[in-house]
Amino acid sequence: MNKVLYILLMFVMTTFALSAQTRTITGQVLDGDFNNEPLIGAAIRIEFNDKNHAPAGTVSDIDGNFSVNVSSAAKGFYVSFVGYATQYVKLGDKNNYSVILRADSKVMDEVVVTGYQNIERRKLTASVSTVGISEEKVGTIKNIDQALAGQVAGLSTMSSSGAPGAPVKIRIRGTASMNGTQDPLWVLDGIPLEGTDVPAMEELKDIDNIYQTSIAGINPADIENITVLKDAAATAIYGARAANGVIVITTKKGKQGKPQINLSAKLTVNPRLSIDRLNLLNSEEKVGLELDLLKSDYTYRENKGAVAQILSNLGETDAYKAGGWAALSPEAQNQINAIKGYNTDWNDALFRTVLNQEYYLSLSGGTDKVNYYTSVGWYDEQGNVRGVENNRFNMTLKTDYRINKFLKLGASVYANQRKTDTYLTDYNSFTNPIYYSRIANPYQPIYDADGNYVYDKNVEGREETDLDFNIMEERANTSNKRIDRSLMAIFDAQLRFNDYFKISTQAGLQYDGYKLDRYASENSYAMRYEMYDKRYNGETYLPEGGMHKVNQGHTFQWTWKTLAEYKQTYRKYHDFEVMLGAELRRIEAETNYTLAYGYDPRTLTIQPVIFPTQDLAESNPLSSETFTENAYASFFATTSYTFKDRYTLGGSIRFDGSDVFGVSKEYRFLPLYSVSGLWRMKEEYWLKGVKQIDDLSLRLSYGLQGNIDKNTSPYLVGKFDKIQILPDHIEDVIESETAPNPDLRWEKTQNINAGFDIAVLKRAISLTVDYYYRKSTDLIGMRMLPLETGFSSTTINWASMENQGFEVGLATRNVYTPNFNWTTNINIGYNQNKVLQETVAENSTYPSREGYPVGAIFAYETAGLDEYGYPLYKTKDGRAVSAQEFFKLDKNGASQLTAAEQRELYTYMGSADPIISGGFINNFEYKNWTLNVNFTFNFGAKVRVQPSYSSLYFDRGLNTNQDILNRWTPDNTDTYLPTLMTSDGIHNSEILFYENYGSFGMMDIWVKKLNYMRCQSIRLGYRFEGDWLTKLGVRSASVSLEGRNLFVIAGDYTNYLDPETMGNPYATPLPKSIIFSLNVNF
Amino acid sequence: MKLKYITVVLAVLLFTSCNDFLDIRPTGKVIAETGEEYRALLTYVYDKVPEDRGMTTLRSDEMAADAATMSGYDYDSYFDIWNWTDYNRNPSALYFGWRRYYHTCYIANYIIEHQSEITKATDAEIKQLVGESYMLRAYMHFLLVNLYAPAYTNCDPETTRGIPLQLKADVNAILQCSSVADVYKQILQDIETADNYMNIEKWEKGYSYRFSKDVVSAFRARVALYMGNWQLAFEEAENVIEKYPALEDLSTSTTTKPTNYNSVESIMALEQIITSSLSNLGYVNPDLLALYRSGDQRKNTYFKAKTLKQWVLRKEKSQFDEERCTFRSGEFYLIAAEAANELNDKTNALKYIKALMQKRYKATNYTTYASALDALDQDALREEIALERQREMAYQGHRWFDLRRTTQPAITKVFTLADKTEEIYTLQQADERYTLRLPQEAVEANPELEIWNK
Repeated sequence: MNKVLYILLMFVMTTFALSAQTRTITGQVLDGDFNNEPLIGAAIRIEFNDKNHAPAGTVSDIDGNFSVNVSSAAKGFYVSFVGYATQYVKLGDKNNYSVILRADSKVMDEVVVTGYQNIERRKLTASVSTVGISEEKVGTIKNIDQALAGQVAGLSTMSSSGAPGAPVKIRIRGTASMNGTQDPLWVLDGIPLEGTDVPAMEELKDIDNIYQTSIAGINPADIENITVLKDAAATAIYGARAANGVIVITTKKGKQGKPQINLSAKLTVNPRLSIDRLNLLNSEEKVGLELDLLKSDYTYRENKGAVAQILSNLGETDAYKAGGWAALSPEAQNQINAIKGYNTDWNDALFRTVLNQEYYLSLSGGTDKVNYYTSVGWYDEQGNVRGVENNRFNMTLKTDYRINKFLKLGASVYANQRKTDTYLTDYNSFTNPIYYSRIANPYQPIYDADGNYVYDKNVEGREETDLDFNIMEERANTSNKRIDRSLMAIFDAQLRFNDYFKISTQAGLQYDGYKLDRYASENSYAMRYEMYDKRYNGETYLPEGGMHKVNQGHTFQWTWKTLAEYKQTYRKYHDFEVMLGAELRRIEAETNYTLAYGYDPRTLTIQPVIFPTQDLAESNPLSSETFTENAYASFFATTSYTFKDRYTLGGSIRFDGSDVFGVSKEYRFLPLYSVSGLWRMKEEYWLKGVKQIDDLSLRLSYGLQGNIDKNTSPYLVGKFDKIQILPDHIEDVIESETAPNPDLRWEKTQNINAGFDIAVLKRAISLTVDYYYRKSTDLIGMRMLPLETGFSSTTINWASMENQGFEVGLATRNVYTPNFNWTTNINIGYNQNKVLQETVAENSTYPSREGYPVGAIFAYETAGLDEYGYPLYKTKDGRAVSAQEFFKLDKNGASQLTAAEQRELYTYMGSADPIISGGFINNFEYKNWTLNVNFTFNFGAKVRVQPSYSSLYFDRGLNTNQDILNRWTPDNTDTYLPTLMTSDGIHNSEILFYENYGSFGMMDIWVKKLNYMRCQSIRLGYRFEGDWLTKLGVRSASVSLEGRNLFVIAGDYTNYLDPETMGNPYATPLPKSIIFSLNVNF
Repeated sequence: MKLKYITVVLAVLLFTSCNDFLDIRPTGKVIAETGEEYRALLTYVYDKVPEDRGMTTLRSDEMAADAATMSGYDYDSYFDIWNWTDYNRNPSALYFGWRRYYHTCYIANYIIEHQSEITKATDAEIKQLVGESYMLRAYMHFLLVNLYAPAYTNCDPETTRGIPLQLKADVNAILQCSSVADVYKQILQDIETADNYMNIEKWEKGYSYRFSKDVVSAFRARVALYMGNWQLAFEEAENVIEKYPALEDLSTSTTTKPTNYNSVESIMALEQIITSSLSNLGYVNPDLLALYRSGDQRKNTYFKAKTLKQWVLRKEKSQFDEERCTFRSGEFYLIAAEAANELNDKTNALKYIKALMQKRYKATNYTTYASALDALDQDALREEIALERQREMAYQGHRWFDLRRTTQPAITKVFTLADKTEEIYTLQQADERYTLRLPQEAVEANPELEIWNK
């Protein structure tokens, strides 16, 4: 208690001291890195001769000016500003001082925010990277996950799709889990976010899946910086969820000073996609191909395509087959020639150039008692695909209060609403516009002369179903809308007992709600498909009208954590810190689904469905709901000890407990820990004198991370249900189809990190290099069980793998003059992943990844074609043999080899994950001009693409790329592309083989190299200057013009739109964009 | 000092309520604890017992089919079963069950192993549950050994490969096959054990799909019959008849099928036998139909004419759910007669066969047919009893097993295609296909399954 009294006393004394003024110091603080512009809000702290003198100080105002009254005891003052090197000015005789501060990217007093603690960089033993989020730094970005591309060594990003709002896949230091989540943990101002996992690539078929992660709701303009925690020393404190790294977002705060208003507007032009790169056949080529095929023995879907239809209508098919073109009547020739000359511009019909807008307004400021930050943002995005729209509305309110010397309180609210509007594209693969643009025939009209829809009779899957499809009709008559609403609130309180001890607590609430609303009118393929699908005795049992499906859901989480921190320096040299904490978290998720038919959108009425049988009613539920709830409790501690600012030893431990149902209590908590060390060599006496070296330190850490599978229990866990065996007796049953596994252990990952930081020549060159080794053991996966156990599979600890790699971050200041600056940042991550052990099922014919990367791609090595255009395969001893011999086919096209022998036939082609990835960033500043050029690159990956065509199932009703024209034919033998296969009496078993076993796509000719360097951003900015600004009341103003994703330098990606989305023909490629941005500060 | 206190208070506050905080029961999920929950586990596997006995109707000589009755999806799924194709099957052809049987065994074993942990149940209730579990396990093994191993009566049971016996709930176990003799030994032992545990004589109507004490003799009689253990079969059949003498009297009325769970004959009503998907695959083999002599009321009770030549199983929609039959008294008159005849006890053989016939034929016809039996010798009587059995148990999932355990005759089937061409399929006498191959997926999942060195 006496300490409290002491502090109170100090308060009182301060007021007295202020009244005893003798001298007024004035001055101006200028930004040495920004043309000596005034620095607003720089802190001035007076130093006195008398150590016990009451503190005094002030803050620079809007013009950078300050004025402070001091007693005669003052001997000097410190001027500091976040991100700038603090300067000390000794007081002389004069009373007016001009202080120029210089930005310092690696100031040792900088604090690193880990989400739990703010660690001074000089004590930081872990591998972390911080990216300041400003337009100069990362360009104009729509979502924060895009901000990280190429900015952080060891963090690789992959855009799943260029569709509006589509999430970006992020991997930190490779992949550590095979079945579990591989996404990093996102933390917003100390609270871990829920709902940030990106769904698997296969589920992201372009605009059908308008899923957004909760990160999409955060406005990048609200973000101060992002810290990426990479090694165990940094992440162990987050426990089990942090096995894939942690991304900590710190949002902007109000700064002391007058209110500042910041207004920005961005206009983005996304030029229309061009499908020219796909090299699709034009009408003339397509008609030529159809004519060729109709004459040949190749009969698959012989009646498809306009040529076949014209000939069949005129009854000349047989005549053509017998006599060729010359045998056709002039009528037939004319009709065919007519379609040759007709080309529908699918590019124009489906895609468009769009203009997008974004506005942002913030108000911030503060006093020594309170600071505030308020912002609103509006973002409206039109997709390059016609009919796709997305918008976002954000609001952020942050206020911090300093109640008294002991207590600080803070409250923040982040709210956003996102709307995505598109149409139904998931009823069949061809209803996806991106895919349709590839398969629609060039001669296929959209409307007839009267403006009616012309249905595409060629794309439909089954011959017997004739459900009319026209993509324009789908776009007009169906809709697929998603609304996401998120609200997050964070309250925190900090109780500072004295300089050594403080307790802080933080409570976070996160609510994410969504509504997915899908509608199809009766005049749509989607509805016709529904009707066809829901039939009984050949008749649909659905009522007339449209369909309305609604999925709604919400997740709600709260997190409450409390920390006690103790910090003490003993005998000047011994810095000691310890932190203890506990965290509770509870999450609930609820979903609701309703389906209605006979829907009329004008009256919002529906018609009841009369199910003909009980079975159909049960298998087509019209509504369903789910509810899940999870709880977590964790305890953690960190400690660090620093000796003479040179040696730091750190350690952290965390016990994570969760509500894993049916898991024995002993499994509830597994200690996850780390130990780490830092040696700041620069502080050694033998290096202190070396002027050229500004910083040199070594870091080393080891840690254990882990994860448990929540779905497998050592006990027999069942689900309640109700059934009827004998009439009129409905009974409870427990369905128990999941095998229990009492032997299931935690998945563990051991991490070793070693790194050094060096800065030389007044920090003109700074380099950070990290080496890491991560070994994951007891990885959890599915294993086939002998069926006599009663179960077909169970979850076991079945695999282990390792990741090792280097990360290099190099920042150089190439030119540094008052008028011209040039800086460069290069980030390179090199990651090598290897599966050490993997159990494959006995019957698997695809090889185990043991000894290969987790993303290993295997294929059959081919050796050209035989004299009939059939693929030849390369045996291990280098011979070229037929499929018959290679696979030891029997007459039914089945391989006589055992599964193990079939696995041996594959050759390793490479990994789907890049080996080297990174970014190359250059910033130029000349007077008021800035130019930023950012590149990102990925090298060393492979991708398996869809075959351009199938030798057996090439569908002449669809369009395709030019590869089909280069297929093997007796006249075109110099090619690697196999012939279209027809029964020839020689290759029958091979044909059956390709027919039944789908091995066609497994040939090495469909595996492509994936190396590319993307020009992510070129941005030219100009900052206005002059008195006219001040007259208008404008503090500062700037404009910029940026081109994003203007070009890609890549290896061969002929026939594909973009190397990044080569493997997924449904994905919208990343759009190019040109952005004009205006920023005004009042 | 202060620091220490605060830390302690903080720690106590947070740790104490922690385990309560983490105890969340997921909606709808459960780990069985109470008697009711264990019963629910068992009910689930009762419900999931495969209808393979019904499917054997296809494989036996009871059902004929042609391109008109079996086409498209049905053809893909069932044709290979019907024409005994065990190699190079249609990729979508169905298999007889395997894992499902063992899953039932798993749950049965789980209940047996956890009997001491069951709460909120009387001792009697627990014992009944455990007893039923033994019965279910025995019944599963009995069906498996009769599908996938040679018939006990037509092999050397001691040295012939049977099926794996699952006697423990263990997902990590890799089981190997036991000999046919060992499987039967285990079945009989399980029935014995079950008898000691069970205490409900007969379940009331809506629950008669469950095993009870009354089923013990019935099950044992059938097992003994399949083993050719005539003495035991006869004794147990008589025990059943003593308790369940009643037979549906078809001589006067043909309204209630004996296979209806409401029938007076019903002892246990678990299996549907011929499910709706099976009943429309083909039509009643005309040879079978011809076996019904004039006055035999079963012909019209069991079957109905679909066209002039094609008869199908009579399944009234209203009674669809009511047709369940695993054991019924009629079967035991036949077992008693067959066993007595084998034991050279003609008096009893005639007594039981006639007792059944009396309820099946119109009175006048009965007199004629019954008296004709008196003069027959043992072999002739055996044949007559077998024929009566074929008529009585038709389409009830017995024929395939009867063929297997007796003479394994040659069977020829004709499949008429749409263009009237005929495909002919033959099962040779004592053909190896009288035993099903182990399912391919089972062998893939456990490659040592087929290994047998005895």
